[in-house]
Amino acid sequence: MTPFRSAPAGYVARWEPVEREVLARVARDVAELVRADSGIGRDVEVGEGVAFTGVGRVPSDPAVRRLLPDAHRDDPDVADEFRHLTQTDLAAGKVARLEAFVACTAPGVAAEAGGEEGTPEEQADAAALEARVNDEVVVPREAAQDFAGALTDLRLVLAERLGLVDDEDVEDLHDAVLAGLDDDADELDEPDDGSRDDAGLTAGERRYWGGVFVAAGFAQETLVTEMLEDLRAGR
Amino acid sequence: MTAGDTATEAEARTEQDPGLADPWVTIVWNDPVNLMSYVSYVFESYFGYPRAKAEKLMMQVHRAGRAVVSSGPRERMEVDVQAMHSYGLWATMRTSGGSDGGAAGGTDGGAA
Repeated sequence: MTPFRSAPAGYVARWEPVEREVLARVARDVAELVRADSGIGRDVEVGEGVAFTGVGRVPSDPAVRRLLPDAHRDDPDVADEFRHLTQTDLAAGKVARLEAFVACTAPGVAAEAGGEEGTPEEQADAAALEARVNDEVVVPREAAQDFAGALTDLRLVLAERLGLVDDEDVEDLHDAVLAGLDDDADELDEPDDGSRDDAGLTAGERRYWGGVFVAAGFAQETLVTEMLEDLRAGR
Repeated sequence: MTAGDTATEAEARTEQDPGLADPWVTIVWNDPVNLMSYVSYVFESYFGYPRAKAEKLMMQVHRAGRAVVSSGPRERMEVDVQAMHSYGLWATMRTSGGSDGGAAGGTDGGAA
């Protein structure tokens, strides 16, 4: 994975096929999770201009609760009313941009989506497929905020699963992942004894999801740095 | 958390005299996940705050655990909180005279 760089077509990075596959899969899973826990059916379109009036109940999954938090700390009536008014719309927006993230990054999706006959979206997918020949992820400027937002939601869910509670937890995880990269892969893989840590993960799972969290953070950091530069330059 | 920061903090976006005119504030809370660059980006792009103010608020969130990022009527704060949640920031609102920990100087919060 290379850093995102500003280019004429948008913000461009190179992701290995395995990085695309894993991040797209996680984004798809998070979208499913948000749908399931906010009452938006699997088949319901969440595109632009679709209004939702569902009744927002407090999500049962702690990770989804972090994405759709209480809006007031001490006044449950205010929090409930806010949830009632906004939650389904918020959830639909998150699902839509996670699904757009998948379309932008997933390997091979464009091929299935159909070629020149397709809708503008499918043609955009075809253009994305072309960029994929070079392993490029191209994020158009107008889509960058949604892409960065999807990375935030994805990282928030991974952090909850990894049990990352404070800044120190995140720093420790970064150190562990980076140390793991330096080690020889053979000696790193001491047999997993299957025991689970406080977050319910085996050592292997923690290594895997930790690596995904760090990679998503790298993508987001480099993308947002370029976005900030453009914003400040008035571009 | 230092209350001293408050006086210079929240001059933007408030046209009326604060106090009675701005009974509510939006608070952004620290979390271990959101990147400092992303939080700055949100404060600059959504609120239109200049870089220095956005970075100062971001550092206040990071170091003190929270910052008052806007103030105004309740309906306006609902819009801001919804926007922060959309960005993935952890935000709440409360009346500016509230006592839920005295974010950014309690009763002065965001109304300077």
